[in-house]
Amino acid sequence: MEYLVNLMIFLPLFGGVICLIQGKKENARLAALVFSVLTCVISLIVGYAYYGTQQATGANPVQFETSFVWIEHINVYYRTGVDGMSMPLVLLSTIISILVVLAAFSIEKNVNIFMALYMMLLSGMLGVFLSMDMILFYVFFEISLLPMYFLIGIWGGPRREYAAIKFFLYTLAGSICLLITMMGLYFFTGEATGADGLNTWAMISSEVGTLTLQSDAVRSLFSQSGAHWTFGQAAFWLTLIAFMVKLPAVPFHTWLPDAHVQAPTPISMILAGVLLKMGGYALMRITYPFFPEAAAFFWYPVALLGVIAIVYGAFCALAQHLNAECDWKKLVAYSSVSHMGFVTLGLAVMNETAFNGAYYQMIGHGIGSALMFFLVGVVYERAHRRDMSSFKGLWLHWPAYGGWSLVGFFAGLGLPGLCGFIGEIMVFLGVFKASNGVGAGHEAAVWTLGAIAATGVVLTAGYILWMFQRVYMGQPKEEYNSFAPIKPRENGIMVALGILAIVFGIFPFLVFDLTDNTVAGLFTIFNDAIKTVLASAG
Amino acid sequence: MNILAQQKNLLHLDSESWMASLKAQLPLISSEVILVITMCLVILVPIFAKKNILYTALTAALGIALALVTVNQGGESGAIIFGGHLAIDPFSQYFKTILYVFALLVLYMWWQTGKDETQEKDTPDFLCLILGATIGMSLMSSASSLLMMFVAMETASMPSYALAGFRKRTKLGSEASMKYLIFGSASSAIMVYGMSLIYSATGSLDFGIIAAQAAIDFSPVLSIGIAATISGILFKLSAAPLHFWCPDVFQAAPTEITTFLSVASKGAAICLLVRLTSAFGAIEGAEFNGLASAVAVVGGITAFIGNLAAIKQTNLKRLLAYSSISHAGFMISAAGLVAIQGESKVSIESAILFYLLIYMFMNLGAFTCVALIKKHTGGEELNDIKGFFKRSPMLASLFIVCLMSLFGMPTAGGFMAKFYLFTSLEATPNAAIFMIIILLINTLISLFYYIKPAAIMIFKQDEQEQGPVFPAWSTLSIVAVMAAMIMWTGINPDSFMNGIAKSSTIKVTQTTPLKPIQINATQIIKKDKKTNAGH
Repeated sequence: MEYLVNLMIFLPLFGGVICLIQGKKENARLAALVFSVLTCVISLIVGYAYYGTQQATGANPVQFETSFVWIEHINVYYRTGVDGMSMPLVLLSTIISILVVLAAFSIEKNVNIFMALYMMLLSGMLGVFLSMDMILFYVFFEISLLPMYFLIGIWGGPRREYAAIKFFLYTLAGSICLLITMMGLYFFTGEATGADGLNTWAMISSEVGTLTLQSDAVRSLFSQSGAHWTFGQAAFWLTLIAFMVKLPAVPFHTWLPDAHVQAPTPISMILAGVLLKMGGYALMRITYPFFPEAAAFFWYPVALLGVIAIVYGAFCALAQHLNAECDWKKLVAYSSVSHMGFVTLGLAVMNETAFNGAYYQMIGHGIGSALMFFLVGVVYERAHRRDMSSFKGLWLHWPAYGGWSLVGFFAGLGLPGLCGFIGEIMVFLGVFKASNGVGAGHEAAVWTLGAIAATGVVLTAGYILWMFQRVYMGQPKEEYNSFAPIKPRENGIMVALGILAIVFGIFPFLVFDLTDNTVAGLFTIFNDAIKTVLASAG
Repeated sequence: MNILAQQKNLLHLDSESWMASLKAQLPLISSEVILVITMCLVILVPIFAKKNILYTALTAALGIALALVTVNQGGESGAIIFGGHLAIDPFSQYFKTILYVFALLVLYMWWQTGKDETQEKDTPDFLCLILGATIGMSLMSSASSLLMMFVAMETASMPSYALAGFRKRTKLGSEASMKYLIFGSASSAIMVYGMSLIYSATGSLDFGIIAAQAAIDFSPVLSIGIAATISGILFKLSAAPLHFWCPDVFQAAPTEITTFLSVASKGAAICLLVRLTSAFGAIEGAEFNGLASAVAVVGGITAFIGNLAAIKQTNLKRLLAYSSISHAGFMISAAGLVAIQGESKVSIESAILFYLLIYMFMNLGAFTCVALIKKHTGGEELNDIKGFFKRSPMLASLFIVCLMSLFGMPTAGGFMAKFYLFTSLEATPNAAIFMIIILLINTLISLFYYIKPAAIMIFKQDEQEQGPVFPAWSTLSIVAVMAAMIMWTGINPDSFMNGIAKSSTIKVTQTTPLKPIQINATQIIKKDKKTNAGH
């Protein structure tokens, strides 16, 4: 199984090389499809095996771990493995990636290079989710930037170069915040008991005797009573900013609308579906487990950032209706900002319900937003415009397309029974529960947060229904007859994502069965931290 | 023991058998001796083989290769020879190895790209100048007294001035050469003046003794002297505000000379700076925070100026010149902290050597790409490489690898070099974190101009619709090998790091200071350079 985990990271890279040397478009497409399907099959096998071990033992969250020394002088390991935090996101990436490759069949320019870059991106994403060592994580986190830069910059819309460099610079600024934290960790972790003066980079490990960054000995250095509390606080904010750029959270979100609007449809799908999740995943993997006391200490400002993202994102999406451009894709892009606000909020309040909700929100949004971007892309490829006011009656013209649009956009709206609902409702429940946890003694503040966040849901309903009314309702326009009919390939993608949206709206245990043990383990850390912080606050 | 007696002892004047000691010391500088002989041969060979410059070039290459294999390691802890003037230690010898390999590669690069521009009768002069500069640089890395430092720096500089203007009959070349010469002479003059001040304050020319004296009495005269001396080294490193010669010279000089100067000349100067600061760092119980932070701040400013000025450049060589200024800034910052470093797993000296090694791969690769681009498009402006990816995907991709490594993208060697440099600052966490933040902001700025050539090659359309070009494999192979080395060091840095970690020992003259130093208990626990380095 360990081999399969490593194979999963490097197989797409190999596939990319194969795509690159293909002379014909068709062959390059086929090669990309074959390798993404293979990767998906491997991930399903690993996922099934992981599910089995979780049911059987239940104890040790990290499975199938590979570890060997990579850079001896600074104690860096090549360490990969899966745990509950990574497994569902790995499955999400590999499944979405097949559909993205299918959606990318409409690309006609330099197909082999497109597919090669895309496969490199997939490698980077899986590497981020599967690496268990900080340096390795950082390497993959950075590797995924370069292909994205070129994918937006070459195949994007009219302002593609501006959007590509903006994306690159923003994310790189975030990475630099992460690198500063990493250097600090390097300088200080040698002092932890059991470290033998060696620093440690292991984020989490199943090996007995491996000192990890979330073990008590290291965490206590950066706790209130520890030697480096100031650094702990700074590091919490630095890593938070690093990953909030990727997530993205207000005020670090301004690259996202540009990147999405300029990116070609398949790249928008993977950007919203998987790449943003790297930010949320890293918050759950690094920021919160490494610096839980700082997190409990600063829960309110972070929660406020989450609420601001929810409401501000929703208002921005709503404003697209009043904008002269009336850009449909920008509306969907801002809805991503709003939805990712739930992840920030769910993490900030630090209780199990909200944490699970935040995690589920990532999965649900991954499916829902990929579908939404694809639906917009289908129309854009035919009409070559995204002005919502210039469409009407699409549903009557393409009944099946309209039906799947209903599923996609209502999943984004958070309709019960679809994948967007469960995450949001759990985050809300968790926020109100925070009055017993981090927010003890500040009930009014907690409830205000919850109430303001809830208005975001109303606004979401507003912009989605308004959009639906403008674009899908009414009598079809004459010009639609000149549009090419929906291809079976496109139908297939819509159906697959639509079915996923429904399945994950009804069976949340598909995700929670995989994550439960890991989340329980994290909460032994979080609850201790909350207790300490509350006690010291008086 | 007074200073005079010490000097006498070092010079072996009392020793009856100085011939015997010469016999013992000569093998340690065998590679320099071979280079001097080769330099003479390169002038003589054309007399016998008039028709073919190949023989001359081969003589030079063989000489350097022979020097490379005879680089004497001088034992694990190193040795100080010739009366304290030269230190033959693992640090200098590792640099010499890098230098000779690099000189060979530059000769190959010149043979492939620049030979046609050099007139046939000029070839021996050209090779002779390159060899002379190499000797100077290799002595610079070993210089352990002010006298040797000055001689070595001039030996390296004089040929460089001539080489910078080697494209005769071009206005730019003459201008660059003249600028380099005037700036260089002025800074040499300041440096010599500084040396004289140091001598007047300490009564010695030896780095170790100067540092020991400075620990007792850091008089204003001495500090001005040290500042003026270091400014001479900083000129060679093109540190701000002494960097103005660098872009002009790098742009106007033939590309192979630009490559040579950007790596070898700066590398030798950084070795000299490290040796000077480590002499201060070796003194127990003395704090040289002021010296360390001044040099580190100069490094930070240099990185900022290099990076900010590079953004607006449109000439590829000029852009890479500013990039080399900013890289020098990184190394200068770290070199300053050598003066106060303590326990760390990776010593700063070894991190700087590793940085130099990777820097050699990156710059050689990038400049060869520029030379090839010039050969095939006729220009080296950003406008000339529009749509170049379509015209030569192979060369463009390799160029992008070099640029991304210069920027510091993970999996490329440039990232590992920066990363090692940061981890080596472990012993001074507070200064280090501050410096790391400054340098990382610089990395972010540098993205603007490193990604620009890549973006222009790929995104922009070539208006003239020029057809594909096929660079010769013999030349492209240099770039390919360099790109492969960049990726290899990025993925498996240990393969070089293991050797370098053993080569960070710097030998400094141990001396008893004139006046006793008051050392308290906490200071005694501090570092001991000799035992810590390399672990």
